[in-house]
Amino acid sequence: MIGRAPRWPTIIVAVVAFIWIIPIVGIVMTSIRPLAETSRGWWRLDSFTLTFSAWQRVWEAYPLAPAFVTTAILAGLGTLGTMLLTPAAAYAFHFLKFPSRRLLLIIIINAFVLPQQVVIIPLFQLWRDIGLIDNFLAVLIPYIGLSFAWSIFLVKNFLEDFPTELVEASRIDGCGPIQSFVHIVLPNSLSSVFAVGILQFLWTWNALLLPMLYLRTYVPMPVILARINGTYELNWDLQSVAAIITTIVPLTVFLIFQRQFAAGAESRTGNKE
Amino acid sequence: MQETVASDAAGSRTKFSSRPGGERHALLATGWRVRDWPAAWLLIAPVLILFGIAVVFPLIETIRLSFFDIKGLGRPKYVGLGNYVKLFTDPAFRNTLSTTLIFTLSTTAISVGLGWLLAMLSAFSPRHTLPFRVMIFAAFGISEAVAGYMWIGILRPDSGGLLNAVIGLFQPGFAQPWLGDPRTGLWVLIVAASWGGVGLPLMLCFAAVQAIPKSLFEAAYIDGATHGQVMRNIMMPLSMPGVRVSIFINLLGALRAFDIIYILTGGGPVRSTETVGYFMYRESMTQFKLGYGAAATVILLVAVLFVSIPAIIQRTAGAR
Repeated sequence: MIGRAPRWPTIIVAVVAFIWIIPIVGIVMTSIRPLAETSRGWWRLDSFTLTFSAWQRVWEAYPLAPAFVTTAILAGLGTLGTMLLTPAAAYAFHFLKFPSRRLLLIIIINAFVLPQQVVIIPLFQLWRDIGLIDNFLAVLIPYIGLSFAWSIFLVKNFLEDFPTELVEASRIDGCGPIQSFVHIVLPNSLSSVFAVGILQFLWTWNALLLPMLYLRTYVPMPVILARINGTYELNWDLQSVAAIITTIVPLTVFLIFQRQFAAGAESRTGNKE
Repeated sequence: MQETVASDAAGSRTKFSSRPGGERHALLATGWRVRDWPAAWLLIAPVLILFGIAVVFPLIETIRLSFFDIKGLGRPKYVGLGNYVKLFTDPAFRNTLSTTLIFTLSTTAISVGLGWLLAMLSAFSPRHTLPFRVMIFAAFGISEAVAGYMWIGILRPDSGGLLNAVIGLFQPGFAQPWLGDPRTGLWVLIVAASWGGVGLPLMLCFAAVQAIPKSLFEAAYIDGATHGQVMRNIMMPLSMPGVRVSIFINLLGALRAFDIIYILTGGGPVRSTETVGYFMYRESMTQFKLGYGAAATVILLVAVLFVSIPAIIQRTAGAR
């Protein structure tokens, strides 16, 4: 920042950073060493043997493979639904006039404050009454429905800076409102739609509470991890592998798109300055 | 933020004219919307249906159910405010309220305080600290469920737990069951929950510090200010916008917390780590007292709304 930057702040930040990754190092170490070595603590280095035995055995010990597929399907569909429906609605709210437009917009964008605990009892009763428990729709509907509160806010915010001349020109050339959306607005707002997609993907991949309550047969990985964790068997190595597999995809996505994520998380949960 | 809250819809419009092209946009602001009801309803109908099922219906239904006594599949019995009276005379729930308060305030204070401090320290040499910021931010990208599992390995009750081992260096044979002792359970849960929460305040506050004009720092250094003075008198006050947003986001996140509590302590030992967000799950989904759980949810909702008032005012004023 300034020519004579001091060194001590960097050292402090570095020390904190290395302390910060200790929990991550812990499960990685536990997953690649035999249980006999790590049962007295993964940080003991008096003998170190590298083994991938836990990585091979874990697929038989826990139903991780079907859980991975389930997670991918749920996160994929949940993300796709939000990415398809959000831009259309944001466009309508921004470029079209219709009765109670502003009221609906205010209700939707303020729903971001609601915790997911609000939906669990009513939807549990509803799904039970109409036989949707253990159906993927039971989690996909709240995944997508809850996302609109922040996704529409984010995309509409982006449209505030969209050049209206482009839309007006397309109208003069004979485009109807839906054609203007498909040909002019949507292709030029893909960056905001993808930002929404990344946030929604991370949220749906990591979701624990809703699938734990509404799904039984095929459950996503965080639910498997919670079940393993509750059994008190001391398979530290296998459990660590399961934890790594659960988090590796969202963590990679997160680290690649971290810049967009910080900006997006701000509008997802909060305000824009 | 405060300014925007105070200004009316027309006033907050002007903030866009500072961006390139915004001036033009603001001038056209009145006439660009076309009236086309069928197209509009077609485009927003799917959103309204899903939003109705997943947000509006549950919200109304939760409030309605909170006035009923429901046991499993039996017929709901109207009890008026009975559930609320029961909640506030239930020692377990009163304990939950204080747990929620301690948990929410502590995790927010630790996350935002540490994130803010690290952001200011990082700003002295942004490029050299980049890898370290990514390492701390990575914890924010790990789901709460996995983070909780990671912490179990550190908080193990025997000498195989890292925390016990480190203390054991000074006090041989030290073995504290951190998660199993009601006196320590909540505090280690707070540390574990704050671990992931530091990343976002770090990034937001760092961006706020970066936005401070460089000339201010140059002027300060020419006048002979020390690094500590620069931090206290320039960085701290001028990064407040980032701090405010971080506080709000972390408060909201802590009030909603469920996953990490479920994985790490399950609300125990002896319900000492149950927040309101966990209490409602326990009462409704494991004890099947749906009306009672709904009443607890309404209390959670009131707390969330209270924290969100400024954000709601701002969003409502900004909705055009």
